[in-house]
Amino acid sequence: MASYIARRLGLAVLVMLTISFLSFLMLKMSGDLAISMAGEGSGADYVEFLRKTYGWDKPLITQYWDWLVKALQGDIGTSFYYGSPVMTLIVERMPATLALGAMAIVMALCTAIPLGMAAGRYPGRLIDKVALLVALLGVSTPIFWLSFLLILVLGLQFAVLPISGGGSFRHLIMPAMALAFYSMPAIIRISRAGMIEVMRSDYIRTARAKGLRPHRIYLGHALRNTLVPVVAVASVQFGFLLGGSVVVENIFAIHGIGYLTWEAINQNDYPVVQAALLAVSAAYVVLTLLADIVNMMIDPRIRLD
Amino acid sequence: MTMPIIEDTATARLWKRPRLPVGRFGLIVGAAIIAAILFAALLAPWIAPHSPYDQSLTNRLIKPVFMDGGSWNHVLGTDHLGRDYLSRLMFGARLSLMIGFGTILMSALVGIGLGLAAGYFGGRVDLVVMFLLTVRLSLPIMLVAISLVGLLGNSLFLMMVILACFLWDQFLVVTRSLTMRFRDAEFVQAARAAGLSDRKIMISEILPNLVSPLVVVATLEMAHAILLEAALSFLGLGIRPPDSSWGLMIAEAKDFVFFEPWLVNVPGLAIFILVAGITFLGEGLRSLYAPDGSR
Amino acid sequence: MVNPLMRGVLAIVAAGLVLLPVTALAGKDDDTLVAAFQAKLPSLDRYHAPGREGFLLGLLAYDALVYRDPNTFELKPLLATAWRQVDEKTWEFDLRSGVKFHNGDPMTAEDVAYSLSYAADPVNKVFNRMTGGWIERVDVVDPLKVRVVGKQVTPLALEYLLQLPIEPKAYREAVGIQGFAEKPVGTGPYKISGGSGNDVIFTRNDDYFEGGGKSKPAIKTLVYRAIPDVNTQVAELIGGGIDWAYYIPVDQAGKLKMMPMVDVINAETFRIGFLTLDAAGLSSPDSPLKDLRVRQAIAHAIDRDALAKTLVGGASKPIASACTPSQFGCIADVTQYGYDVEKAKALMAQAGFADGFDIDIYGYRSRPVAEAIIGYLNAIGIRANLHWMQYSAVIQQRRDHKTPIVIDDFGSAGINDVGAILPFFFAESPDDQSRDPAVTAAIREAGSTADPEQRKALYAKALKRIADEAYWTPMFSMPVNYVMSKDVTVPVPADENVEFWRATWK
Repeated sequence: MASYIARRLGLAVLVMLTISFLSFLMLKMSGDLAISMAGEGSGADYVEFLRKTYGWDKPLITQYWDWLVKALQGDIGTSFYYGSPVMTLIVERMPATLALGAMAIVMALCTAIPLGMAAGRYPGRLIDKVALLVALLGVSTPIFWLSFLLILVLGLQFAVLPISGGGSFRHLIMPAMALAFYSMPAIIRISRAGMIEVMRSDYIRTARAKGLRPHRIYLGHALRNTLVPVVAVASVQFGFLLGGSVVVENIFAIHGIGYLTWEAINQNDYPVVQAALLAVSAAYVVLTLLADIVNMMIDPRIRLD
Repeated sequence: MTMPIIEDTATARLWKRPRLPVGRFGLIVGAAIIAAILFAALLAPWIAPHSPYDQSLTNRLIKPVFMDGGSWNHVLGTDHLGRDYLSRLMFGARLSLMIGFGTILMSALVGIGLGLAAGYFGGRVDLVVMFLLTVRLSLPIMLVAISLVGLLGNSLFLMMVILACFLWDQFLVVTRSLTMRFRDAEFVQAARAAGLSDRKIMISEILPNLVSPLVVVATLEMAHAILLEAALSFLGLGIRPPDSSWGLMIAEAKDFVFFEPWLVNVPGLAIFILVAGITFLGEGLRSLYAPDGSR
Repeated sequence: MVNPLMRGVLAIVAAGLVLLPVTALAGKDDDTLVAAFQAKLPSLDRYHAPGREGFLLGLLAYDALVYRDPNTFELKPLLATAWRQVDEKTWEFDLRSGVKFHNGDPMTAEDVAYSLSYAADPVNKVFNRMTGGWIERVDVVDPLKVRVVGKQVTPLALEYLLQLPIEPKAYREAVGIQGFAEKPVGTGPYKISGGSGNDVIFTRNDDYFEGGGKSKPAIKTLVYRAIPDVNTQVAELIGGGIDWAYYIPVDQAGKLKMMPMVDVINAETFRIGFLTLDAAGLSSPDSPLKDLRVRQAIAHAIDRDALAKTLVGGASKPIASACTPSQFGCIADVTQYGYDVEKAKALMAQAGFADGFDIDIYGYRSRPVAEAIIGYLNAIGIRANLHWMQYSAVIQQRRDHKTPIVIDDFGSAGINDVGAILPFFFAESPDDQSRDPAVTAAIREAGSTADPEQRKALYAKALKRIADEAYWTPMFSMPVNYVMSKDVTVPVPADENVEFWRATWK
C-alpha cells in the first residue's frame, strides 16, 4: 500500500515538473520579460540591467532551474498589471474557483447518479429517454447560452438567485448549475452502465431468490459497484470544471482563477497566465492523486497491480 | 515499474463519453442532419441569398420571417451590422465544420500514431506514451487554449492545431487498447512470419480493424472541437471577424440575449442540432459496431 | 416509478431554492449605492490607475489642489483656497488649513510637493504622463503655501493640476508604492474601507471639509463592482442588484428605457472615436499605412454617419477633425473624406494594393463598432485581423510600436481645449503614430504659448495637416448612456466625471 502511494506520488511529481516546464516555455514565448517589465521609454541599459538581475541572459535550462527553485519557495513572479506578487493573486482567487467547482460537482453527482441509475434500472423506458436527452443536452449546449438562460429565468423571471458576484453561497448556485450541466453526461453514463451490470449479475438473482427487497439490493450493490469509476470520473470532472470555468466566471463576474486568467490574457500579463495554468494543473494532479488513494481503499484489487 | 499505475490512472481518468441508447434510428437521424448541414455549407457560395459580408447599418436587426416584422428577403433576419443571418449561418457552417474536421484529422493522426506504437511495442514506448497522456489530461484545456490563442494570435489554422493538441486522448486510448488485443492475433503473427516490417504490420494489418471504433471517437471529438471553438469565440479569442462561425455568431449576438433572443437562439440551436446529429451518428455507429453494448 | 433517492434529492434541491430568500444587496434601505464598471481597478493609487475609472477613483478618494465643475467647467478651490500666477511659468497656491487625510495626518505643503514631484518624474511611470510631465519643480514656501514651476509656459497648467491628487508623503513612504496601492489614503469625500472579490467599498468621509468645490457625500456607502459582461450588468440593473452603470451600448440602453425600474440618460461628453494609423511605419518599416493614398482610402471607406446614428447612437455625430468639436482650438474646416467605397478602392489600386492587404487592428471598447469597421475595411480589400484586449494593454502595445491600426477613443480628461488631446497623440508622444515634424512643431509651440489667438492658429495648422495627411481617421463623438435605478439620482456630468458624492436617494 505504501509503495503504491509512493509510486503514485512520484508520478504526480513528474507530471507537475513537465507541466511547469511547458508553462515556463509559454512564459518565455510571450516576449522579452525585461522589456515588458522595464516599460515603455526605458533605456537599453535599464533593460540590460533587469535581464542581468533576473538571470534572463542565461541558457534556458538554467533559467528554468532558477525559476523552479524560486517557485518552490513560493515566488512565481510579479504581475505586470497589478504590480503585486503572482502568488498573492492566485491564493486570493483560488478559493472562489474551488468553491464553484466543488458545488458544481456535488450538484452533478446528486442529479446524475440517481438519473443514471434509474435509466440503467429501466433501460429503454421513459426515464432512460429522459437521461438520454439530458446527456445529449449536456454535451451539445454551449455553456454561455445556458448561463444567460439561467440568468433570465432564475435571476430575473423568478428572481430567486442573485445574478452576479461571488459574495455568498447563493451567488454560486447559478454558475455552478451551468457548470454541473456540463459534467452530468459522463456521470450519467457511468452510473447507468454500473446499474446495468448489477442487474445482470448473479448475486442480484441470488438475492432476489432469497426474497430481499429489490430496491435495497439495487441501490446498495449498484452504488458500491459504481463508486470506484464515479470517484475517478468525479475527480477528472472536477479538474475540467476548474479549467472550464473561464466562461462562467466571466459571465457571472466571479472573482476566480478563470476570470483572472482571461483578464491577464487581455492585459498581456503572462506571468499571471502561467501561474494560473500551473495552479489549475496542480489542483487537478492533487485531486486525481487523492481519488486514486480513495479508490485504493475502497477496492483493494487496485493495489495488487 | 510504474507503468501499470500510469495505465490505471490514465484510462480511469478518461472522460468516458455517455453511451446512449440511440441505436439504428439515431444513425439515420444523425446522418440526415449532418448531410443537410454539409450540403448547406458546401453550396453556400451558390445558394446563400446574400453575401455574408455585406453590411448595412441602416438595415440592422431585421427580424426573421417567422416573427412580426420579418420578410422573405432576409429569411432569418439580419444581425447587428445588417448582414443577412441565413447567409452568415450557411457560411458559418463552413468554418465550424472545417474546424471540426481539421481538428479531428490532426488529433486522430497524433492519437492513432501514439496508440499504435504504445499498443504494439508495449514496454518503454507504452510507458512514455501513457506519461504523455497523463500530462495532457492534467492540462486544463480551456485555459491553455485561450492562453495560446491570446499569445500567438487567432488564426484559423492555429486554432485547429491548438485544439488538436488536446483532443487526441480518446484516439490514443481506443487505438492502444485494441492494438494490444490484436498484437498477438494469428493474422499479425502470420504477417510477422512473412517478414513484414513493424510499421507495415501496424498500418496495413492492425489499423484496418480499428476503423469503425475510431470513426465513433472522431464524431464525438468533432462535437467537442466545435463547442470549444464556440467558447473561444465567445471570449473574443476564436474566429476573427468579419468571417463567421456559429460560435462567433453567438458571441457577436450575445449583447442581444435578453432583448432580441432569436439572434442568439438561431446559431445556438444550429450548434445544438449539429452536435446532437454528430453524437447520434457516433452512437448509432457504435451500436452497429458493438450491438451487444460491449466496447 | 421514480427512484426514491432521486425523489429525495429533488426535494432537497427544490426546498433549497425556495428557502433561500433574495435580499437586495443594493439600495436605499442600507444606504448603499452599487455602481458597476467593466474593468477592475488594478491599483487603488490614483497615479497608477488607468482609464476613466482611474479618474473617478481620483475624485472619490482623493482631492487635487483645484476642482473643476463637471457641467460649467468653472475652476473652483479645493485643497488650494486661492492661487495666482507669479510669473509666466510659476503658479502659487495657498493651501487649505485643517484638512486631514483619512488616516488622520494633516495635509501640508510637503505632501503637495511630494505628490506633484512624483507625478512629474518619468521614472515613476504614472499612468497619464501629460498631467505631471510639465512640472519642473515644486517649492514649499511655508507649510500652507507652495509654488509650482513649469518647464515652459503651460496654458493648461490648472487643468492638469486638477487631475493630480495629493497623497500623504509620510504614509506612502512608510507602506511603499505597492502597499499604498492596496490600502490607499487620500483626503477625498469617500474613504476606501476595503474590498473583496470584485468589489471596492467606499465609505463616507464624515470629516470631509467644507468650502471646496466638493462636498460631504449624501450616501454612506458606495460599492465599485467590476462586472465584465455588459449583459450581466443589464440583468443586474433590471433585477435591482446594482443601482448604476454607464457605457451601456445603444441597443441595450434603448430597451432599458422602456423598463419601469431604471432611468436612461444619454449625455454628451468630450469623448470622440477614431482610428490611429501607423503612418510612420513604427510597427513595420514597410507598412502599407505609410502610403498617404492608403490612409485616405481608409478614411473614405468608413461610413461615419451610419456608425454615429446606429451603433453609437444617442446624440452621436460624425466628426472630420482630430478633436472634440466644442474644444477651444478645434476646427471642423479641414479636408473632408466622405463615405465613398469606389473612390477608396481606386485609391487602394493607385497605391498598388488592388488586391488589398492583411493588417492587424487593435480594439478595446465596443465590439460591434470594431466589427463594423472591419467590415468596412474588408469592403475595400483590407483584411484586418482583430486583436481584442483591455484598454491599458492596447495602449501598451501601441507604445511598444506593435499596432498598425487602433480603434481608439479619447475623452480629453474633460478639458475643453485641444491642448488636451493633440499632445497626447502627436508631437512625439509615446502614442504618436505619425511623427510628423510639422505637426510636432506646431503643437509644441502652441503648448508653450500664452496668447489664445496665436495658439488657435497653431492648432489649426496642426489639425489641417493631420487631416490632409489622413494620419487619423476621426469618426464620431461618443455620448455616454448612464443607466440608474429609479430610486437614486446620480447627477450626470458633461465630462464623464461622475460625482457620486452628490448622489441622493429619491
